[in-house]
Amino acid sequence: MGKLRFLAALWAAKLSRPVLKLTRHNGTNFPGELAIKLCPDFLKYIGKPETIISVTGTNGKTTVNNMVCDIFEAAGKTVLDNRAGSNINSGIATSLIVGATLFGRAKYDTAVFETDERSALRIYPWVRPKYILMTNLFRDSIMRNGHPEFIADILTAYIPKESKLILNADDLISCSVAPDNDRVYYGIEKLDSDRTECINLINDMRICPKCAGKLEYDYLRYHHIGRARCSACGFTSPPYDYSGREIDYAAGTVTIADKAGSGVYALVNDSIFNIYNMVAVAALFREMGMPHEKLTEYMKHAKVVETRYRELDVGKIRIITQLAKEKNALAITRAFDYIRGLPGPKKVLLMMNCLNDEKHWSENTCWMYDCDFEFLNDPQIGQIVVSGPRARDYRLRLLFAGVPDSRILCLPDELEGARQIDFSPGDMVCIFHGVDSFAVTQKVLEIISRRAEEACAE
Amino acid sequence: MTVEILFPEVCSLYGDLMNIEYLVRSCPEIQVVRTSLKETPAFVTRDDVSLIYMGTMTERAQELVIAALLPHKGRIMQLILDGTPFLITGNALEIFGKYIECDDGSKIDCLGIFGTYAVRRMMQRYNSLYIGKFGEIDIVGFKSQFTHSYGDAEPLFETVRGDGLHPGTMAEGVRRNNFMATYVIGPLLILNPDLTVYILDLIGAKGCRPAYEEAAYDVFRTRLREFSDPNRGFTY
Repeated sequence: MGKLRFLAALWAAKLSRPVLKLTRHNGTNFPGELAIKLCPDFLKYIGKPETIISVTGTNGKTTVNNMVCDIFEAAGKTVLDNRAGSNINSGIATSLIVGATLFGRAKYDTAVFETDERSALRIYPWVRPKYILMTNLFRDSIMRNGHPEFIADILTAYIPKESKLILNADDLISCSVAPDNDRVYYGIEKLDSDRTECINLINDMRICPKCAGKLEYDYLRYHHIGRARCSACGFTSPPYDYSGREIDYAAGTVTIADKAGSGVYALVNDSIFNIYNMVAVAALFREMGMPHEKLTEYMKHAKVVETRYRELDVGKIRIITQLAKEKNALAITRAFDYIRGLPGPKKVLLMMNCLNDEKHWSENTCWMYDCDFEFLNDPQIGQIVVSGPRARDYRLRLLFAGVPDSRILCLPDELEGARQIDFSPGDMVCIFHGVDSFAVTQKVLEIISRRAEEACAE
Repeated sequence: MTVEILFPEVCSLYGDLMNIEYLVRSCPEIQVVRTSLKETPAFVTRDDVSLIYMGTMTERAQELVIAALLPHKGRIMQLILDGTPFLITGNALEIFGKYIECDDGSKIDCLGIFGTYAVRRMMQRYNSLYIGKFGEIDIVGFKSQFTHSYGDAEPLFETVRGDGLHPGTMAEGVRRNNFMATYVIGPLLILNPDLTVYILDLIGAKGCRPAYEEAAYDVFRTRLREFSDPNRGFTY
């Protein structure tokens, strides 16, 4: 009965795909949702590729997942992936439906799945990865994820025993996941810019996981990312199996080394967050046996997708759209930190409102007081326009961060924000938006681009 | 005036520590003592602590905090009876109840100062907006938690919209004399400038106004208006 039900669900899901194409609904999870609705243990029966790579973690998993797929493509290997869909169980089911024959056998030998860490319990019991690459575990949506310890516990409970973990040694929270699993660690060696004390509001590893004593950091990069030790019990961060070192921003390179050798890799992006992503990706491919010589070449084809970060030069005005994932204090802090570090005067438009929440209830704004808005209190940042339903909350938070009220323009309509933001040639205009606001960001970008053209023409 | 923050290295979730930063911004004379898990709390050795604050933490941290406070239970009870102000937010409230019941039915003994107990369901996170009353003061905020509390205690807030300590009750939080504990987060004081004024008065900062007063009241009034809209969803 189970198999018959599965086949009925598979065929119904496969049939739904041409209908979705005709109605221009490509890229939705509908086939997977339908299949799971018709056959709740659909993921158990659907054929799976022999090698499954799961990319999970709080931040960076979409970027890493795309980079892994880009490298496979550059190497001439076709893999199944879920880039077009979502990273929850129905998204992965949709990909597996695409990658299966009419009788449910897998057509691919390798799959790369971005996997929502909170959904591990609905995925890993049936989709059992050979490799699980974890970017990091940080605070995320307070409503869905609570805190990273909760997510680490879910992952520990559901990660298959046979999966090899590729973990960030500089993140002690992800290091704590599934302690009995085989694992390797990656990280980035000490940088000149490192500290030993945290300057961020969020630091979720202040005490030793063994004895609750105060952790000390040999170097601390941001939040709890760094190398820690406990002088009370001797606990330390694990050593690196794969390390990023000798970052040369001028040349745009990073050396990635392991016990078998090293390679000099062209930086995909110069933010430290994306250099971590590169080292993570290199660790995965090195684990799979790809030599540095080939990997350095293939890595040149890896990209950070434009919806996450985009630069547009209009005359002497540079417009940047920066994804700052709504309600994710840490991701937004990292985005603020990156933008403030760019040279030159900037004007900022904040519009990373959680628009979907606002449709139904109201965005939980606790994250704003975990997020380092203080980074926007920077001499190179001039006017800050705050927009969207939570514009007033942004204003209060910016005042709390020490930004003078005279520099803040509060305009709840995002398009009005785009019309009124004050910039001139030589400025950089930085738009911080969320996933919910992709559509309105495009309109905002069009307005600002048009105004930039006019300003430069004058 | 001295405000003691208990265990900020772990009781730091959801922006809660900014509650005290907001008090300091409103009254720069306030001195803050931060006590870590391995230290003896200032309220044990000093008689001049004006406010004891503890915020939201993880479930593992709750057990560390219980162990750290248990030796001082008698002192805490005495301070509560004497009227020392406490402000306790989020799941820190549970530390002062009888026990926390876990998913597997096991119980974590808490300080047992109040007759409440918490039931924790890790896969059933509860999210809600909140409107309540503290006397004549309107209260707005959020709830986002894995637990609900039950049992007898004098409430801190009377719920106007949303749930109290558990679904179906209007009684939110725990109060005895100047001990004030609530699940409502926001951070609570930043979202509620009138409550901030009350706390400032209580700890001796009479006449101090909430920092960024105009912007804070603008946010407060906007949120109260939004949350009062009957068409707005409340529990998520």
